[in-house]
Amino acid sequence: MNVKLLLSDIYWVFWREIKKFLQQKARLMMVVIQPLIWLVLMGNSMSGLTRNPQAAQMLGTGNYLDFMTPGIMIMTALFGGVFGGITIVWDRRTGYLNKMLAAPIYRAAIPLGKLLSIGLQTMLQALIIVIIALFLGVHFKTGILGIVALLAIAGLFGIIMGGISLSLSSRIKSMETLMAVSNFLTMPLMFTSNAMFPTNAMPGWLKAIAMGNPVSYAVHAMRTISTQGWIWHDILPALAALFGIMILIVALAIRLFSKSVN
Amino acid sequence: MKTIIEAQGLTKVYKGGILAVDNVSFAVNEGEIFGFLGPNGAGKSTTIALLTTLLSPTKGTATINGIDITKHAYQARLELGFVSQDLAVEDVLTGYDNLRLQAGFYHLTRTEVHDRIAEVLKMVDLTARAKDKVETYSGGMRKRLDIACGLIHRPRILFLDEPTLGLDIQTRREIWKYVNTLREKNKMTIFLTTHYMDEADSLCDRIAIIDRGVIKTLDTPSALKEAIKHEVPNPTLDDVFLHYTGKEMREDFTSKEESFKARNNIRRARR
Repeated sequence: MNVKLLLSDIYWVFWREIKKFLQQKARLMMVVIQPLIWLVLMGNSMSGLTRNPQAAQMLGTGNYLDFMTPGIMIMTALFGGVFGGITIVWDRRTGYLNKMLAAPIYRAAIPLGKLLSIGLQTMLQALIIVIIALFLGVHFKTGILGIVALLAIAGLFGIIMGGISLSLSSRIKSMETLMAVSNFLTMPLMFTSNAMFPTNAMPGWLKAIAMGNPVSYAVHAMRTISTQGWIWHDILPALAALFGIMILIVALAIRLFSKSVN
Repeated sequence: MKTIIEAQGLTKVYKGGILAVDNVSFAVNEGEIFGFLGPNGAGKSTTIALLTTLLSPTKGTATINGIDITKHAYQARLELGFVSQDLAVEDVLTGYDNLRLQAGFYHLTRTEVHDRIAEVLKMVDLTARAKDKVETYSGGMRKRLDIACGLIHRPRILFLDEPTLGLDIQTRREIWKYVNTLREKNKMTIFLTTHYMDEADSLCDRIAIIDRGVIKTLDTPSALKEAIKHEVPNPTLDDVFLHYTGKEMREDFTSKEESFKARNNIRRARR
């Protein structure tokens, strides 16, 4: 294997995705508007409920927006990433996939380039959420460095979701089915996690599910960084787990994709 | 004359046991325009997919400029350009960026990219529109851009899968002109499939007719017509085609994907 050529192939697949992403003005607008709506509407309406000492104790912070911002970042990463595989189904339909496959490029470069672009898009979205959140008075305890860490974790999570979606798209060739399966995955993942509600407020069975949900790892690490500080014994295990999951899923996505085009 | 494509017992059986290409052997000479004709689902696209390394054969093999496609797929890809019937260009990118991307896929160096793009743009007369987004192009311009993409790495052989599908007669003639120029000026070998018999007749040096995965005949257009003269007086290539493939309509597509594409192409042609 020629690493230089592999990297070049990954770069061009990535370049294509990013270039297309930047050309789609409406899509870029949604990237800004969607988190704005979540933060302003959901954040404000929930603040009324959470402005009491008991709630504040469950949230670990007096401000629901502080609590929710990492959750929104992950939710955006989840929705962004989980539809990443659709680009493969689309490329297959338009014939662009064949165009790439007829070229002398490494097969693995196609999923890897797409995942990188999903990771970058997720980080960009997370950055926009941070900016909106700062305007709404959200306090990030660990400052700039903490914010960089939040973006990185969001990107990592986007890649995990993108990897799941790419793996599915190697098997599922119809757009409609893939959309249905993706939707089916996102809701339970979201609502059995600590993204919106503190696990302390959940019934025991839900709490047990939430603890095992990878969404919760990401949110937990991010929330600790943004509201508590650099509490490494809390952050590191969650990050290690996320990293391990990412490696496994990316490997699976490459394997299934390569198999599907051979 | 040098042989540039040689298929030897090429066979493809799809999952579920559909025999799409059945022990096909033929040779294409360097510098000729080789027409590959057949009804829907006859095995044309599968044969092209095998030759362009998009599929691996169940049995048999082929060589592209002497390179075995099953053993050295990577090298074979460098020798061939592939322009599919799908019109796979990126609408939201400019013509230039589409070519830039293609140059990247073929590992062209930074120094040669610009000149090479200028070269292929000139070949298809798109230089003036290179900086415009493809969504502003007409159908014919898109097809020309798609062909330019297939030429970026100066392949020895260009595969054109139904290059004039859904285009009006003026644009079709225009595309023929470019194809002819490629052969004459650049000494390129062209492997072409089409459903238009007049196109095959006026463009191709030799024609193979495939049906149900088997090559029925292979010769020059005039020899093909000559051969059925005893049955049809003054035969056209249409008559030759019907002679070898029968008169019934074909609706047995080999795969779901193919039938989707066929429907899609019909829709596109109507637009």
